[in-house]
Amino acid sequence: MSYYLLIFLAGIAGSFHCIGMCGGFACVLGRNPKGYISTLLRHLLYNSGRIVSYAFMGGLAGMAGHKLFSSVQAGNELMSAGHNQMGFTHLAPLLPASLSTGQRILAVFAGLLMLIMAFQLFGYFNRLHRFTTGFGGITFVNSLTSLLNSPKRAAPLAFGVFNGFLPCPLVYAFVAQAAASSNSFSGIMTMIAFGLGTFPAMLLIGGVSQLVQPHWRKLGVRVAGSFILLFGLITLIRGLVPTLGHGIFS
Amino acid sequence: MEYFLNDHKLHLNPISPLTDSQSMPKAELRKAPKEGFCSHCLLALGSHPTRRTVNGEDHGFCCYGCCLAFQVKHGSREEPEAAWLLIRLGTGGFLAMNIMLFSLLLYSGTFNYADAELIPLIHWILGIFATPVMLILGWPFFHETWDGLLQGRLTSSTLISLGAGAAYAYSVLMLFTGGSHIYFDTATMVLVLFTVGRYLEAAGRAKAVRNIAPMLEAEEQWASVVENGKETPLSVRQVQAGMSVRVRPGERIPVDGTIIEGCSSADERILTGESRPVTKNVDDYVLAGCINLEGSLLIKCNAAGSDTRWGNLCRIVRDTLSQPNSTQRIVDKAAGRFVPAVLGITALTIIYWQTEVALNQALLHGLAVLVVACPCALGLAAPLATALGLGQFLQRGCLVRGAEVQEKLARIQGIAFDKTGTLTEGYTNLVHIECEEDYHEVVLRRTAALEHHSEHPLAHGIISAAKTRKLQLPEAQKVQAVPGSGLLGYIEDDLVIAGRADWLRKLDYEISGYMSERLEQQENSGHTAVCVGWNKKVKGLLFLDDQLLNDAPVMVRELKNLGLKTLLLTGDISSVGQRIAETAGIDEWEATLAPEDKCAVLSTWGKKNGPAAMVGDGLNDGPVLASAGIGIAVGGATDLARETADLVLPQGGIILLPWVIQLSRAVRKTILTNIMWAFGYNAVAITLAVSGFLLPILAAVLMAGSSLLVVLNSLRLEKLSSEV
Repeated sequence: MSYYLLIFLAGIAGSFHCIGMCGGFACVLGRNPKGYISTLLRHLLYNSGRIVSYAFMGGLAGMAGHKLFSSVQAGNELMSAGHNQMGFTHLAPLLPASLSTGQRILAVFAGLLMLIMAFQLFGYFNRLHRFTTGFGGITFVNSLTSLLNSPKRAAPLAFGVFNGFLPCPLVYAFVAQAAASSNSFSGIMTMIAFGLGTFPAMLLIGGVSQLVQPHWRKLGVRVAGSFILLFGLITLIRGLVPTLGHGIFS
Repeated sequence: MEYFLNDHKLHLNPISPLTDSQSMPKAELRKAPKEGFCSHCLLALGSHPTRRTVNGEDHGFCCYGCCLAFQVKHGSREEPEAAWLLIRLGTGGFLAMNIMLFSLLLYSGTFNYADAELIPLIHWILGIFATPVMLILGWPFFHETWDGLLQGRLTSSTLISLGAGAAYAYSVLMLFTGGSHIYFDTATMVLVLFTVGRYLEAAGRAKAVRNIAPMLEAEEQWASVVENGKETPLSVRQVQAGMSVRVRPGERIPVDGTIIEGCSSADERILTGESRPVTKNVDDYVLAGCINLEGSLLIKCNAAGSDTRWGNLCRIVRDTLSQPNSTQRIVDKAAGRFVPAVLGITALTIIYWQTEVALNQALLHGLAVLVVACPCALGLAAPLATALGLGQFLQRGCLVRGAEVQEKLARIQGIAFDKTGTLTEGYTNLVHIECEEDYHEVVLRRTAALEHHSEHPLAHGIISAAKTRKLQLPEAQKVQAVPGSGLLGYIEDDLVIAGRADWLRKLDYEISGYMSERLEQQENSGHTAVCVGWNKKVKGLLFLDDQLLNDAPVMVRELKNLGLKTLLLTGDISSVGQRIAETAGIDEWEATLAPEDKCAVLSTWGKKNGPAAMVGDGLNDGPVLASAGIGIAVGGATDLARETADLVLPQGGIILLPWVIQLSRAVRKTILTNIMWAFGYNAVAITLAVSGFLLPILAAVLMAGSSLLVVLNSLRLEKLSSEV
């Protein structure tokens, strides 16, 4: 469980990044004139939408990781048998004792991706980020604008769902982590833990966003970057030197 | 060109009518972007910031995410329908993703061991989640299916409704009978993905008509009418001639009229294709549809608001857009036959697989066929590309009339040109005056005085020659024009006559042997002569040169590079035709043609070389333009909105011809590749689905993908045309 706790903490640190980027949305959602309960409901809906999108991506990434993993090690019957017995009780340990070739390749890939994302949070590699240009970007954005200002009750939920899919280095990093776990369930759990970590800040943001100065937010983003850097390194090491980490984090 | 397009986009954005800082909302002032910081999250920009123009202001962003987020908050809003579609999609997506999460866990065997007794409960939860999704996202598809059935039609919605409905109904049945195979995830995800496909379609269409939008909104404009110092907003349809209308900077001018107060400059691109702003002062004429750029103007309407040139153009564009072209009609017909065929294939698939595998598995294979065969992308193939092409034409001031025009332009094999005023400047150049005695000035003065009363293209050249030589023109009296022959009138008590040589001969004017010789010589070298005489004697000969437009040779060469044959048709004498054709580089020429001869020559030429377009100035070659496969008129959409040409190029726009052909060909190619993609995609996917290699959800992903592909392929046209 310590693994998910770490991710949860990374989520909390990462929410300094969220305040800057997605916090604006939460502000626009703002207060419901009907009272605190309605306001809370709005923000809960928005955040649940967001977290379900994260979990969905995590689940898919986990499944994709699993497919990749099992296809690479299809010949290794022993490993497959061992994997099939991983049931509900198996919550991916940070550095499992034994790793198949498939998992290692995946771990190296995810680790590298996380390192890139971490560097992006520190302000490097920004060009990699512009993968959705022109059509996707502008049209989607225009539609979201109308959604954000819609008086319909379900609008915050729908907005949260789409918000979850907006390009964000933090989310990508943890999706990579979810894929490396090569299991739908731990993928989902990884993303839920991350999403819950961002929950408190995003929920409070309507009232407190003005209080958090850019200086502190910058620091927060650095902390989040450091977390991801750490995760990336661990994942990378896990893939490259499987025996080295044995016993340290498990 | 890039600048030109960007600039245009900028003007299409809603521009705030207030410019002074006092009227700017305080919040906007506070949020003014600081240099070096992200406009959205206010962090430092870093070395490679993302830059965007939002609502006419430049902004820098630290990352693409912030850029999107900022535009969401500050960008223009779409129609409420789009928002409603997104709310349904978001809510449906939320439930469907929850269903998918549980299903993923079920498939991965998470509940197989200690928690196996939870599985039926989870099935029920999935059923409860799936029901609202079927209502929220499925309703539009079911509704369309029902409407179609009432009219005896099977549409693509039929396939989606049948697929998703069957998966849902089967799962509900299993829920009640305690079966283990439920497909709520399939049913809901198929609906989510097809709704995403619909959204992509809608977004693509919205983007495709963006350039045309100003051409469709003439009648929806409001004008602020000033009466007794009071401004009242009125719909342009209620505006009458004589009313005064106030137009603020950044607003589109709603009426045709004359400026009575204020000065400004106007962006007239929408009507003339002219990209530079045109200065406007009091007493200048302004046209509806142009954008008033800087100053506030008070305009007196010259015509009723519903009878502007812009309004007429809008009607033409709307008619063109609303007719499906022939390719689209064929595709629609094919799609109509496609749906019943798919239903048949689905039935056969289920029957075959049922003998091989369990029924639920066979049904799943059938479902995959239904979902993957949906011909949504086909419906998009032609209209998107056509609208984009039309928008590109309009942006450069070219007016296309009729849905078939782009298609026909893409297929032409040859282009025929009218000479005077199309390929040439008209007779603007007086090259030589021939006199027996030293009468040069007198001859020119007297001829110019006569020609002053004429509209003939020759007159222009003679008058401007007199002006260049700073001659004082005498007064001409009782001037008469004899059509096809010349002019006569009294100047300084002499009856002066100017015109064709044979007309003067017919009137028994004496012409010396020397003059006859010169006349023949010059005409052989391709010049046009005006004979001038008085006192029953030819006193002088004026030779005018019909000069080729500077751009013409380059334009003709580019057309030939595109593989087109060229032909020059002229009513002028052979030597002129030959000279112009040779200088311009035109392959063939025919001279001394009457208008009806031109039609005959063009049709013979067309039979020999394939379909041909005719280019003219649209004023005196109407019949031949109308008889050609495609009639192209040069001379500005505003003047020619009521003429018969299929394509109207802006003033001086003949140089655009190669671009026009290239764009039309690109549009046609895009339509064909779209159709090939869509059909090919369907063919491969159906084969895969029939052979049981495709899960229904994956099939739905493929279908949304094919819509996206068609949209993106069509949008390439925008980039392409800015490069040409």
